[in-house]
Amino acid sequence: MKINRSIAALLFGLALIASAVVLAPGASYSRQERDATFAAASRQHMAGTDELGRDRLVRVSAAFLLSLAGAIMASALTTAAAAGVGTLAAFGPASVGWLAMLVCDVFLALPWLFLLMMVRSALPLTTSPANSAAITFLVLAALGWPACARAVYRGALHLKSAEWMLHARASGLRSAQIVRHAIPNFFPLLLPQFLVCIPAFVIAEANLGALGLGVGEPLPSWGGMLLELDNSAMLMQTRWVYFPVALLIVVLLLLDAIAVEVE
Amino acid sequence: MRLFRWLLICVSLILAVILADLCRAQAAPRKPGELVWTIGYDPKTFDPAKVDDQESELVRYLTAGVLLRFNRLSQKVEPRLAESWGLSSDGRTVTFKLRPGLEFSDGSNLTANDVAWSIRRVLLKDTGAPVAEEFVSPGEVTVDSPDAGTVIVHLPKRVIGIGKVFDEIAIEPADRPSEGRVTAGPFVVAEYRRSQFVRLRANPHYAVADGAALPYASGIRLDVLENPEQEVRLFERGQYDFIAGIPPDYFELLKQKDPASVRDLGPSLNTEQMWFNQAPSAPIPAWEKSWFQSRGFRLAVSQAIHRADLARIAYLGHATPAYDFISPANEEWYDHQISAPHTDVAAAKATLARAGFRVNGVALQDSAGHLVKFSILTNSGNAARMKMATLIQQDLGALGMQVNVVALDFPALIERLMHTQDYEACLLGLENVDPDPNAMMNIWLSSSPNHQWDPSEKAPATSWEAEIDRAMDRQATTMSHAERKEAVDRVQQIVADEQPFIYLVYPNVLLAVSPHLKGVEPAVLEPTIAWNVEDLRLDGQR
Repeated sequence: MKINRSIAALLFGLALIASAVVLAPGASYSRQERDATFAAASRQHMAGTDELGRDRLVRVSAAFLLSLAGAIMASALTTAAAAGVGTLAAFGPASVGWLAMLVCDVFLALPWLFLLMMVRSALPLTTSPANSAAITFLVLAALGWPACARAVYRGALHLKSAEWMLHARASGLRSAQIVRHAIPNFFPLLLPQFLVCIPAFVIAEANLGALGLGVGEPLPSWGGMLLELDNSAMLMQTRWVYFPVALLIVVLLLLDAIAVEVE
Repeated sequence: MRLFRWLLICVSLILAVILADLCRAQAAPRKPGELVWTIGYDPKTFDPAKVDDQESELVRYLTAGVLLRFNRLSQKVEPRLAESWGLSSDGRTVTFKLRPGLEFSDGSNLTANDVAWSIRRVLLKDTGAPVAEEFVSPGEVTVDSPDAGTVIVHLPKRVIGIGKVFDEIAIEPADRPSEGRVTAGPFVVAEYRRSQFVRLRANPHYAVADGAALPYASGIRLDVLENPEQEVRLFERGQYDFIAGIPPDYFELLKQKDPASVRDLGPSLNTEQMWFNQAPSAPIPAWEKSWFQSRGFRLAVSQAIHRADLARIAYLGHATPAYDFISPANEEWYDHQISAPHTDVAAAKATLARAGFRVNGVALQDSAGHLVKFSILTNSGNAARMKMATLIQQDLGALGMQVNVVALDFPALIERLMHTQDYEACLLGLENVDPDPNAMMNIWLSSSPNHQWDPSEKAPATSWEAEIDRAMDRQATTMSHAERKEAVDRVQQIVADEQPFIYLVYPNVLLAVSPHLKGVEPAVLEPTIAWNVEDLRLDGQR
């Protein structure tokens, strides 16, 4: 199990370029140049400007970094929660395992979109765009763990019946000692789950943004920018409206390739 | 396994049949001579007396036989089922003489008895007709029909613009309300498929003064469709005959392809405005209420907003900066002498300083040190409003205010505005269907639930609100037009001075009309194109 270094390097390179664009002197994802709406690509605005005269390259870069960072953190939280629940279910008493899996099933059956809509509309109106982004990813993490926990549970059950585990038990190791030895064996199980969740959360955030439920203005998000594609009048203005979706597809392919490679 | 496969095949077949049915239903064929356009949602009712939403109102307009019709182009009241009408000198008695030989769409005779019954039904409290409120005291109105051709309505007191009220009262067969299926108007409701379409067919007994065989169209199909993208595509394919109220970006798109297919009628009577929540009971911090109740704060916000940018960017130039609740399109009532705060950021900063606010670094604080931070609420799905809110966010940022833009779906928004009052500022539009300012009484009277910045005040909260109440009452009761105009001008000036509503733009009336549609004489007032529906017809028809 190893990550294809060239794919990882490509993704890292993209993140570096995006960071350089966002942090460049004078760059702003929210500044409106009102006399330059839908401006064509130029030295000043390399991917042109949007309908409010904001630099499209800076906005896409910021959306990419925000989405990637948020998805990585949400995925880490989800994986940690799934590891806890999956391990508890596998190594705990049978009733605990049954109950934990029942909770997973209930969570999986929840209409998550409506839940997200409820959470979003229940947020205080003064929630800043940055906080709304953080809350969006937290909610995604809170809803994303059950499928992951089921996979961890199955892996942990397999681990529980492994030969070395039986030997450990037979030689009288206490539970705490067994868990300490078992933890390194969970990494091959958790890493693919962690990596699989990242593109899933990226696309979930983009979907929410497209429904107007994600990150608030003026913070850029994939979903907000993809909304432009729903308007043929906008498509006539400039071909640069396709830039966010093109980059999103590239990023998702790279993330997916990394996850598949590890699996 | 075999059973599962068969089940799968059966389910697939059922789904295919359902899908085919759905597709067939959506692609309802156009009948010969039928006009087709869209409505945004299903009409809530077909009962003409209970109409309370825009789409139901359109169906009523197309189907109802009315005593008087308010001509949307000339903005004059014209007799329709009535041959003549008159108002007594004290304005309290309205007399209608019906045209002879009137019939309903089923061929039955229309008499004064039907007219009196229809008016009484609207006035009954149990009917719950919104139009009854326009009679001010509907319970005290009496209706007589001394003979088969005369109807007399007695009002307890004079009602401004009483003629227009009868434009909203459908005459139905006495004791046989039919929800638009038997009418004395140009069309009758023929078919309704929820979420798909409403089909109307021409009334064969429809009578007009000169005896012409109207309406020209054999029917109308109103497709329920709220997606402008789809609407424009279908219009381009010739499936729709016109689009009333086309979004500015699509207007420009169609203009590029075929300039003759679009028309910009200039400023509408509608306004887009923002306001701050000043209600004392609102669940927001006390210091925020004190900002919003401060005239200086509201004035500074108004001065900081670049309305020309809102019109140019959010509406692509198809809107006019607004400083008043009456649009310049409403020539009779618009006050050209009004003195309103115009864009001036330096003046806005000075106004804030005078009101006790100060800038700490880049952030604005009030005298107690609270950061000036609030949210502007608007409805999701309206691109122009979202753009305006984002532009205003930057404009107010120049004063050091931190503004969040929040888009909520309409029901959630209305819940906050009308019930919980849990919001700080709101950006919405107001559709004015009647040019007479009397129709805005429900907005300006402090006791009204639609007095948005502080609904249902028990007594006017401020002296200027009390003055608005008095001026609106005066314009509603005086017999002198000059005195009415003076009162309405005074209200316009108070609103400009106090800025309870910060008016942003008057959106233009934007239309797309198929070259095959004839008889089009678009008006600024709703229904912009369909107001003369009797005369609309497709190319080559009659």
